[in-house]
Amino acid sequence: MTDRRQWLRRNQATLLAYAMAIALFLVTSAFAHGFATWNHTRVLLVQACFIGIVGLGQTFVILGGGVDLSVPWMLNATATLLTLWCHGQAANLVWVLPVLLAMAVIVGLVNGLGVTLLGVSPIIMTLGVNGVLQGALLLITNGGQSPTAPHAIQQLATGNVAGIPIALLVWAAVALIAWLLLSKMSLGRQLYATGTNARVAYLSGVRVGRVTVLSYVISALASALAGVLLAGYVGEAYLGMGDVYLFSSVAAVVIGGASILGGRGHYVGTVAGALILTLLAALLPILNLNPAALQVVYGFAILLTVGLASLRLGGT
Amino acid sequence: MSVLRITDLRKRYGAVHALDGASLEARSGEVHALLGENGAGKSTLIKILSGAVRHDGGSIALDDRELRIRSPRDAVRAGIGTAFQELSLIPDLTVAQNLFFGREPLGRLRGVRRGRLEQEAAALLEQLGIERIAATALVRTLPIAQRQLVEIAKAAARRPRVLILDEATSALSPAEGTWLLELARRTAREGAIVIFISHRLAEIRDVADRMTVFRAGVDVGAGAIDQIDDDEAVRLMLGRRVERLYPPRREAVGEEVVLAARGLTLGTRLAGVDLDLRRGEILGVGGLQGQGQRELFNALAGATPARGRIELEGREIHPTSPRRALAEGIALVPEDRQREGLLLDLSIRDNIALPVIERISRAGFVDARAETRMVAEVAERLQITAGSWAREAGSLSGGNQQKVVLAKTLVSGARVLLLYDATRGVDVGTKSEIFTLLRELAGSGMATLFYSTDLQELTNVCDRVAVMADGRIGGILAGPQLTEENVLRLSVGGSLPPVAAEAVR
Ligand SMILES: Nc1ncnc2c1ncn2[C@@H]1O[C@H](COP(=O)(O)OP(=O)(O)OP(=O)(O)O)[C@@H](O)[C@H]1O
Ligand SMILES: [Mg+2]
Repeated sequence: MTDRRQWLRRNQATLLAYAMAIALFLVTSAFAHGFATWNHTRVLLVQACFIGIVGLGQTFVILGGGVDLSVPWMLNATATLLTLWCHGQAANLVWVLPVLLAMAVIVGLVNGLGVTLLGVSPIIMTLGVNGVLQGALLLITNGGQSPTAPHAIQQLATGNVAGIPIALLVWAAVALIAWLLLSKMSLGRQLYATGTNARVAYLSGVRVGRVTVLSYVISALASALAGVLLAGYVGEAYLGMGDVYLFSSVAAVVIGGASILGGRGHYVGTVAGALILTLLAALLPILNLNPAALQVVYGFAILLTVGLASLRLGGT
Repeated sequence: MSVLRITDLRKRYGAVHALDGASLEARSGEVHALLGENGAGKSTLIKILSGAVRHDGGSIALDDRELRIRSPRDAVRAGIGTAFQELSLIPDLTVAQNLFFGREPLGRLRGVRRGRLEQEAAALLEQLGIERIAATALVRTLPIAQRQLVEIAKAAARRPRVLILDEATSALSPAEGTWLLELARRTAREGAIVIFISHRLAEIRDVADRMTVFRAGVDVGAGAIDQIDDDEAVRLMLGRRVERLYPPRREAVGEEVVLAARGLTLGTRLAGVDLDLRRGEILGVGGLQGQGQRELFNALAGATPARGRIELEGREIHPTSPRRALAEGIALVPEDRQREGLLLDLSIRDNIALPVIERISRAGFVDARAETRMVAEVAERLQITAGSWAREAGSLSGGNQQKVVLAKTLVSGARVLLLYDATRGVDVGTKSEIFTLLRELAGSGMATLFYSTDLQELTNVCDRVAVMADGRIGGILAGPQLTEENVLRLSVGGSLPPVAAEAVR
């Protein structure tokens, strides 16, 4: 009994986020014809998977008490270099993917080590890395167009298996890994401990630095994966394609009930956050609103969920 | 003469009845002790009186006028000053800013005048007799005893009509404790009501005029101090008797040294400490506050590595981090449970399992069953009253929080326990359980280093007591030498009576 009450209270924000996602879906369906069909839902879910995957990395970093603002150009760099190096040839993926993977690990390490070893604040460190990536990419591409993504990658992002989008399966797979890491594995416990109070965690024998660095590596890897998928989805890479994910990845985490100060939240919540943000974006054209209004709507969504979550359900 | 009358007070936290119809009556001019086991509802009552939480039912009246306390502001206006058990200071402000928080002396254009603020703070500290704390120091940088003194000063600063001291002596050294008792007496003499919460019966006997005892959120007894003797007070508190608080010492402790320190040095705090901790012994560490005790514990536990040599069972070790120390079997109960010991927002289970989380995992996966078994076992052993291990550690009463910290070290499978004031705020019943447990552990070979601010505890629990002064071991007391008086003597750099001196090693 008390266990259940505890559980409800701890997961109140997450439950609210799912309730909101479902409500949003139902309300929109009632107004927009063809919204609730499987075909359209499928499209929505694939769109949500980009925020969802970037948000996965962001969840780990935020839980550990940091924030990763290098997400947009990490994603962009991966997408651009993928198309650039592949020249449309799928065969090149054999070396391009491992190189991109290694690059993500390095960016994650740089972020993490900057924060832990040098003691730079996460915001400054990751913003700096973001700037470096952006500059480097502008130099490499000279601001020009890059080739289209290889067919295999496009297939990955837009294809279906038994009527289910492959991208969605990829998302489900990484979501499962995230859930295992956070809920079932010792790393998750140590991450929560670190984000809650790094000093206490350290005194309890947690390798706080390692755990923190790992969270940034996970985030860089997640952004890289999202970059690959997005390049395939759009068919090409362009400069600035990652920009929206800076805000939306953090927003998804917060709407999903995590504390921006760390130590509280779960990827399960972030998934709901990603769904809500995607539904809101889909709602704009239906309401005949200017796409520029999206940021305003996102902002209100955050305020609303955070506000709702701070009202205590079932008394104090 | 004024009377504080609390009638039938009720407060629920979810399913927990923290207060279940508690009443208390205290008069001006008296120091009124409030007793009760951990979780009895003492701090809850205090929080209600201070406007930190709201009650569900019952009434509070001062001078027959009903008080409506809905916020800390209301409490201050009603003349209630509180030193909270878990301290209410803001770590990133200075001592002066904390002391005058919300009522800073204003200059022209309503700007706060810093210089004057600090002057007034210094004057206040001096007037209260608090030395050695700079008004300009950041609270964050102060050890817990000094923070406790600032908290007391803050409560007393406005000359309250009701001064509440919630376990304010628990972190203080004997000398500072004596100072506080004097402050309480003086405040009462000047016509205020003093409510004094403590788990130390001797202290209560020393300072209080009347007492009220709480059990499970209800007042179960009240009376003049000499109407209720210690045994009766304990029986009221726990609903049973405690046969003996301190278990008998073992006759002989072996000679085998488990942990040895040679020439431990850390800045000016540790000036070359030599120490031998033997198998099966409980070695006390005493002395005035701030003589390097904390640094010694932290150095041995890898929390603040010091220079010098540390040997474990004859082998040199390098505890450069708590993790390494833990791996060697050295576990620490740190000084400050709220900032060093506990993850307040996480569950009791997560807290207890954290030091061993990797050990109870296979291929990275936590063995949930082993974890639950382990937590349930140690929690029962230490009588952590919680109801559910999924509860947040921060929602436990102070004493129960302390037990969770102790539980962490017990599950870590340590061979050496470093207990820095591990029984701070723990009630008499559980204390006696803990001491019995420590004796048992010692019997099976555990080596324990035991710091306490409570002199009685030091002399009754420990086999030997090392008294520290100026970052060194000033002397070690054992056997018939081990008396409170001698500990005090060595603390202030005095020497022992000549006959006994040769027994000192
Ligand atoms: N925020 C909270 N949420 C849930 N339960 C709480 C909360 N605060 C206190 N409690 C519960 O209320 C009860 C009374 O706690 P309280 O802190 O008043 O005890 P106490 O008498 O001060 O004990 P101690 O001697 O250990 O300080 C305990 O069971 C405690 O767990
Ligand atoms: Mg208390």
